[in-house]
Amino acid sequence: MPDIGGSDLFVLEFGDILHYYTPYTLTLFVLALIFTALAILARPEGQVDIAFGGDAYYAKETAVSEMRFRRFMTIACGLATMGAMGSGDIFNFTLFVSLVGIANIGIVAAVKNRHVLNAAYEYGIVAMVATLPLFGGAALVLATTGTLSIPALAAGGYAVPPVGKVLLALGVIGEGMAPFYAAKAEMFRAPGAPYVIMCSLSSLLIFLRVVEIVITI
Amino acid sequence: MIPDYSLALLVAFAVTGIAFFALMRETDGLHRLLLTDLIEVVTLAFIALVGTDLAEALILPGLVVGTSELIALSEIYRVKEGFVRPPADGLRIEVMESAPGILAALLVVYGIVLSGFSGGAVAGLGVLFYFLCRDHNERFELIETASGYSWVLWIIAFFIFMILPQYWFFAVMLAGSAILVKVMAKMSLIGTMRGGPNA
Repeated sequence: MPDIGGSDLFVLEFGDILHYYTPYTLTLFVLALIFTALAILARPEGQVDIAFGGDAYYAKETAVSEMRFRRFMTIACGLATMGAMGSGDIFNFTLFVSLVGIANIGIVAAVKNRHVLNAAYEYGIVAMVATLPLFGGAALVLATTGTLSIPALAAGGYAVPPVGKVLLALGVIGEGMAPFYAAKAEMFRAPGAPYVIMCSLSSLLIFLRVVEIVITI
Repeated sequence: MIPDYSLALLVAFAVTGIAFFALMRETDGLHRLLLTDLIEVVTLAFIALVGTDLAEALILPGLVVGTSELIALSEIYRVKEGFVRPPADGLRIEVMESAPGILAALLVVYGIVLSGFSGGAVAGLGVLFYFLCRDHNERFELIETASGYSWVLWIIAFFIFMILPQYWFFAVMLAGSAILVKVMAKMSLIGTMRGGPNA
């Protein structure tokens, strides 16, 4: 089996469920950690819309309660991303990924704007539907090999069905919508810069991680 | 002869196809939300097909994820469509004034005897029925706080299982009573879902 992550730096075992970090996943973890810290420290962006054909402009204010909720969701999203980076169990990974999906919906849906809410609703339906390939893939891997541990699967001796891998990758794509940034354009109307960017960063990170998992197992 | 698992997997994939086709054809927002629930059920079927103790343990988080996404999406739909008017007063019949006290007391006592998850469900049903029939100007923060603390006790019990296995009996009792309170508190909140200022 190809080992693209490098050698293990740290392993924390709970029975056969374990967390481990390789240079690859540690890099992604540190990225998520830094961005979560930035989101905690940063103040929300004040968006300004220019009225067409005149000197007037609209300054959009972010209410304190909305800011607090979105910051909480951003921190939750960061923690879930960090968990997904270090998890050595496929089912735990899928749970962290779906938590990222829920937190992403929460970050966007706090904005009381009809366009943003419409986009968040469509995105939420995609994220919800994506739990089928996500959990379905994990269940197929469990049913055919009898284990969910990534290091055990990577050690070889198991025939992981390709359809399980495809479903897993499809599920992560749906939860993170990573290749579909264009579809999220409506969401970026939402003011409050550091929080919305967490959606994109977490999608990118879970997508990079699932590529590593699919290649390794 | 096709093995049972492959046959069931085939059926699950067929249902997936039907569900996705329905979701593709449907354009109404609320109906699409309901159809995603159909997909959640197939997801649980995929996990349940494995048919081991581990699969049983994996169904619960799968169900929780599905339910929480459904609740979040329903809330977004409600805000998006601007449904703000609380529902009118429900049914007012004599039985709903006299029965709740007795029934709730019986169910709660029986739930405490059962203890654990199922006991919590039985006792929670009693409290739910009580809140459903009577006024519910209760202190929700108190119920939520009790639920939160009992969840912490439940987790502590699990750590005792892992770190100090010789005290397993204490941990079983702790987990059993904590999950009783937690499930009861969570279920009782359903009885108060009638709109209104503090719902």
